[in-house]
Amino acid sequence: MRSPRVVIGGAIVVAMVICAVFAPQIAPNDPANQDLLNMLLPPMWEEGGSADYPFGTDSLGRCILSQMIYGARVALFVGFVAAIGATLLGTTLALLAGYFGGWIDRAISHLVDLWMSLPPVVLSVTLMVGFGTGVGNVILSIVLVDWTRFCRVVRSEVMVVARKDFVAAAKLLGFGNIRIILREILPSVTPLIITLFTLQVGIGIIVEAILSFVGLSVPADVPAWGQMIAQARNYMYQAPWGIILPIIAMFVTVLGFNLLGEGLRVALDPRLRKRNI
Amino acid sequence: MFNSLINVAARRLAGAVPTVLLLSMVVFFVLRALPADPLALLLPPNATQADAEVVRKALGLDRSIIVQYLIWLRDALSGNLGNSIAFREPVMRLLANSLPATLELSFVGLAFALIISIPGGLLLYGTRGTFIESVLDVIVVCMLSIPSFLWAIFLLLGFGVMLGWLPFSGRVDPGIVIPDGTGFLLIDYIVAVQWGYWQNAFSHLILPAMALALGFSPLVIRVLRSSLLEASEDHYVTVARQRGLNERQIILKHMLRNSALPTITLIGAQFGFLFGGTLLVETIFSYPGIGNLMVQAVRNHDLPLIQGIALVFCITTLAINTVVDILYVVLNPKLRRA
Repeated sequence: MRSPRVVIGGAIVVAMVICAVFAPQIAPNDPANQDLLNMLLPPMWEEGGSADYPFGTDSLGRCILSQMIYGARVALFVGFVAAIGATLLGTTLALLAGYFGGWIDRAISHLVDLWMSLPPVVLSVTLMVGFGTGVGNVILSIVLVDWTRFCRVVRSEVMVVARKDFVAAAKLLGFGNIRIILREILPSVTPLIITLFTLQVGIGIIVEAILSFVGLSVPADVPAWGQMIAQARNYMYQAPWGIILPIIAMFVTVLGFNLLGEGLRVALDPRLRKRNI
Repeated sequence: MFNSLINVAARRLAGAVPTVLLLSMVVFFVLRALPADPLALLLPPNATQADAEVVRKALGLDRSIIVQYLIWLRDALSGNLGNSIAFREPVMRLLANSLPATLELSFVGLAFALIISIPGGLLLYGTRGTFIESVLDVIVVCMLSIPSFLWAIFLLLGFGVMLGWLPFSGRVDPGIVIPDGTGFLLIDYIVAVQWGYWQNAFSHLILPAMALALGFSPLVIRVLRSSLLEASEDHYVTVARQRGLNERQIILKHMLRNSALPTITLIGAQFGFLFGGTLLVETIFSYPGIGNLMVQAVRNHDLPLIQGIALVFCITTLAINTVVDILYVVLNPKLRRA
């Protein structure tokens, strides 16, 4: 657990969560406040920058640093809640398919294949057009697209576990199916689920940014990284920092979750620890 | 071998038909849940209630949703996907004009991804257990955290705007004639023997294709590395070593061939990921393909166009999967007789 990946990834994640929770205390300015006399200011380390706006301002004179800090709220909220939803839906179906097999397995596997024959981005964009914009719908569309990832991976692991001796023993002792699934099988696949969950938070953050970029996510007055990137794109020749900084914020956050997920994968799986991949 | 190839293709195609039907149904019903009324976009602002009813009837929007779907399906089967609301053109024509551009971009992107990831995977395998491996590993995890649309913005800013080395808008420079032909410019300009135009088209492809490739290659690098690691413990490698072949020969002649199979499987399964990346990459580079068209259709609430493009994405993804399955049989002698 003390691997550098877990430590660095975990530190980044904790730092981002602190930014999101304490955004009003940390941010130097109100992110919605428009200072129309100071539009497209460069960051303070460049000529013409001002210490009032450490990372400069956007095309409406809003503080970029404050927007980035507040943007962590949307990103992490969407990332975490969508990952919880995708984990619950995908894992439940995977447990049913992997444990019972037969027609249940065939039906669920067919559904996964069907879902995966559309590129995930195309599917989530189409769902968003149908549902309409808003944070709740963004989360719903990520859950409806990404549950397949969990279902596929967890199902094959459940199939392996279900053939183990301790499951057979539990059956011989006359335990019910639900008890076997929850008490015997679920604990064995939990390390895998934790890893997938962590990686999924990063994926959710990217999908939210993609949807913001297309204009399908949160309303325009809510600070979000994808939105900042989309708006700054129109001014990136005069003010490249406006687009580079939110990209860095997103990259660092996603990297944090990926490092943590990868680190946990090795730490929780004794087979991998030896091979040190 | 030929028979088993036909078998694979036939089985795949038989499975694809219900998939396309079911997905088209899902897309159709999801889009009908749309809170906005698509009629509002079609009508001039001064239209009366009676005008609206006429248009609604003409489009069949007054019928039940199942009847609407069946009408759409009947038309789709005869090659008519309706008219785009925003472009006022048949959806089929818009798709026919932009699909080749997207396919060309995706294939060049895939080629770039292989050019990056095969040496990358070999390098990671070759440096296993050393300090260099852990540095490379960190680079791969960093690459995994950057989706293709962020690469697109970086490449555009760096090589397009700041350095000015490469063009970053459209398929060719304005003023260059796009020939009638396959729609694949890299083929059409060769057929027309216009070498200068070919170079121009290729230089326009480099940045967007590179963005797709950089987003995709970390996945390929990892699979290639882990299959090389697995292969290195196989019997035939030990035997080859005992025969005194040097490590380079063993890797290039034996292990790479065997590691190609899981790598190809991954490329097939994840092609949708690369293909879906065209949505934002094409938008960022103003590249006239179906990804760009999809984003415009979404912004215009252009339902017939969204439906048509989703269908094309689905069919193309399934077609690629079929090709990958066939390739798998060709490359894997064990499957040929099955």
